[in-house]
Amino acid sequence: MIEVEKLNDRDLVAAAVEDAKRYGADLADAFFSKNHELVIEVRNGEVENLKVARESGIGIRLIKEGRLGFAYTSDLGLDSIRETVRAALANARIGSPDLNNVFPAPPEAYPEMELEDRRLQEIPLEEKIRLAQEIEKSGRGYDGRVRITEQASYQEAQYHVTIANSLGILASYRGSLCGGYASLVAGDDGDQQTGFGLYFTRKFDELDPEAIGREAAFKAVRMLGARRLETRRTAVVFDPYVVTNFLGLIASALSADAVQKGRSLFAGRVGQRVAAEGVTVIDDGTLPKGLMSSPFDGEGVPSQRTFLIKKGTLQGFLHNSYTGAREGVSSTGNAARSSYKSPPEVGTTNFYLAPGEKDPRDIIKNTESGLYLTEVMGMHTANPVSGDFSVGAAGIWIERGELTIPVRGMVIAGNILELLENIDLIGNDLRFFIGTGAPTIRVSGLTVSGQ
Amino acid sequence: MLSKADLEEILQVARRGGDFAEIFIEDKRSTKIGCEDRKIERVITGHEQGAGIRVIRGENTAYGYTNVLKKEELLKLAERVGKAARENPVETIPLVRRESPVKLPVKRRPEEEGIEEKAELVRAAEEAARSVDDKLVRQVTVGYGDVTQRVTIANTDGVYVEDERIRSRLSVNAVAAEGQVIQTGYESAGGTQGLELFDEEKPVDLGRRAARRALLMLNARRAPAGRMPVVLAGEAGGTMIHEACGHGLEADLAQKGLSVYANRQGEQVASELVTVVDDGTLQGKFGTLRFDDEGNPAQRTVLIEGGILRGYMYDRITASREGAGLTGNGRRESFQHRPIPRMTNTYLAPGDASPDEIIRETRAGLLVRRMGGGQVNTTNGDFVFEVTEGYLIQDGEATVPVRGATLTGNGPEVLKQIDMIGRDFGFSIGICGKDGQGVPVSDAQPTIRIPELIVGGILEEEGDCDDRG
Repeated sequence: MIEVEKLNDRDLVAAAVEDAKRYGADLADAFFSKNHELVIEVRNGEVENLKVARESGIGIRLIKEGRLGFAYTSDLGLDSIRETVRAALANARIGSPDLNNVFPAPPEAYPEMELEDRRLQEIPLEEKIRLAQEIEKSGRGYDGRVRITEQASYQEAQYHVTIANSLGILASYRGSLCGGYASLVAGDDGDQQTGFGLYFTRKFDELDPEAIGREAAFKAVRMLGARRLETRRTAVVFDPYVVTNFLGLIASALSADAVQKGRSLFAGRVGQRVAAEGVTVIDDGTLPKGLMSSPFDGEGVPSQRTFLIKKGTLQGFLHNSYTGAREGVSSTGNAARSSYKSPPEVGTTNFYLAPGEKDPRDIIKNTESGLYLTEVMGMHTANPVSGDFSVGAAGIWIERGELTIPVRGMVIAGNILELLENIDLIGNDLRFFIGTGAPTIRVSGLTVSGQ
Repeated sequence: MLSKADLEEILQVARRGGDFAEIFIEDKRSTKIGCEDRKIERVITGHEQGAGIRVIRGENTAYGYTNVLKKEELLKLAERVGKAARENPVETIPLVRRESPVKLPVKRRPEEEGIEEKAELVRAAEEAARSVDDKLVRQVTVGYGDVTQRVTIANTDGVYVEDERIRSRLSVNAVAAEGQVIQTGYESAGGTQGLELFDEEKPVDLGRRAARRALLMLNARRAPAGRMPVVLAGEAGGTMIHEACGHGLEADLAQKGLSVYANRQGEQVASELVTVVDDGTLQGKFGTLRFDDEGNPAQRTVLIEGGILRGYMYDRITASREGAGLTGNGRRESFQHRPIPRMTNTYLAPGDASPDEIIRETRAGLLVRRMGGGQVNTTNGDFVFEVTEGYLIQDGEATVPVRGATLTGNGPEVLKQIDMIGRDFGFSIGICGKDGQGVPVSDAQPTIRIPELIVGGILEEEGDCDDRG
């Protein structure tokens, strides 16, 4: 057996594709990924948990007589790769034949991008530990009532992706990201509330640990004394993080796969108004500084920018090669693989609601009464097919344009289409949480259940 | 393959950096089959291996993993993970092989069954769902999955365990549409069993139940909004108990002061009717284990008895911190994660009321016949769970179906209020997420009544005109 270390990633994927052809596949692709991970969790000034890791593997996808099969392995020996190719072929035998199972041909070029902070590896561990400690220190020092650190951490990842297919694609990229996270608990009179802060970026130098800690502390303290209000229908101002939670729901309905399979509430509505005038939703795999930016997607198709909703009108959907072939359109470069262990599905890259012009403070000032929604709970229970959602809610009550008392233990419910239609103010404060971004928005009316 | 002597050597190197060292080696083979649009689309088989090394010194844990399972690589990793500390002279570590009292016989091992057999289960569920109403059922998604996970766990306490965990699972999601209304119905079954699981949990029944629920929801009204009595049927599954108190009784959260149940052992935290148990030894259930992921035997742990808090769920670190006995709850998603206290199969024990009587004695409220997912903020005790099949109760009878509701309450408040407990019992399965790790669990409960929960529906004056588009 040839040793792993002796084959580089390009040789590996090429060997996998060659094997697949030799064993009778009509088309094949191989996706290799290798990751390094570092997590430092600090509590009460000490490193409580430290994690260092490396992982690599290869996923092999092939088509035989229109049928698709996929197999993966973390064992990169040539024997193991051969066994994986044979498993993928056996799997293809029971797949249903579908002429839309196609792979992309090599493009003319891939966009150039700088995704890696090469310095990251050289920064000593101690400096990264110090950063996590500073996050905690600034949070705990923000207010005497900030009593418990649930988590204060520094995290980084370095990744390397290589893809090859039997039509001639052979490409790779490297990237890195790093960031900090804090979740802190404030306590007062037996009441305990949590708040979080996070920031991820590609460049270590852009991290501001104090801001992360302060944000978590500020959010925890402002929720102290929160209570439940009476059930009512009211205006709701969503903070950017909560908006990104709802964007996840919209993203799955904007996938062509969902549309073609009758699971999307946007099906058949291209060209129609589906949201308020000011709503523009974009997926952009080339976004400078975007943490989900990459030169190509999980099939080797170049990344691009795609308008999904423009000024309230539905423009189109996200495609991979399969959904594109099914409709006779091109892939939008949205074949996403969560790791070498999964075949490419339709997914988002940097997905965001475009900012408007309002200062978020003015949005609150212009709200006579309503809920400033800062936390939702149980978002995964919302139904992406019907668009119905009913989720736990907490935030601050707005009265005469001012933030007043904190509220919690309530539920907001509605339908995502109705919500999009009723967005009447959009902030200028676009903020990304890893791959999803949004500004503050206001929705004119939603049912908020409580007492 | 790594011998016992190799493991001893690796542990010895790692242990130099701390008071305790452990290695967790995993070899996992899995199969997934996905069907949608009447087509078998995804057929995936995978093989993954790796090892995680953990070194604990005082209150600090270092963890590292790799998927290169070679002795030299693991020695290097052991050194890296252990190096945070001073050199500790270490005597040899004699490993003694452990057996678990929990036996989990598997009749039809997934590895030995053909992929065609598995595809047949998927097709059966898909056809059954379609045949309920070929016109209104617009889409059916079926997912099959099996996992055979072989683990070797060894640590410097001398624990040495080799175990194999087999799990199978089938889920059906049906989409029904009529006019502008589109609704879904979901059913799933899973267990620590091989394909014999599906002799009992027939794919055809899962398919039919999912489709029927989607159809029922087409005619459902939006749930009402506000505070009201809620009856949770036994068949609804155990999500509520998992969220309302399960997470809060995990010792790591309690010890950090992140749980409303912290420092309350021996206190009345729930109604006298309430007994809550976590039991990793239940035959064939989704959260069942022979050993947890630290190599300790699974067991039955009484958490709340007659309303009194008896104990918490522990892993090694949390148990030793307070001198408590191990409960077999140290679990991890894979070699990529350190173990933390997790639930296995968690249930609210049955009482003696008749389920029908509980509904009859409720004048007005909501009957929940199926729960979906949920979430809890353990720090303040607020939790939510989703209702996927619900009915209004009017004059002691379940009447019109309602949809789209999440219920919310506060754990300790709700547990104190429970005033009726039935003699029936029903399970649901799920992948429970905590600290970025997902582990298989099951939850169960009898029919119970909670006099007051907040139902997150839509206010009446909007009517259900939006239902019809």
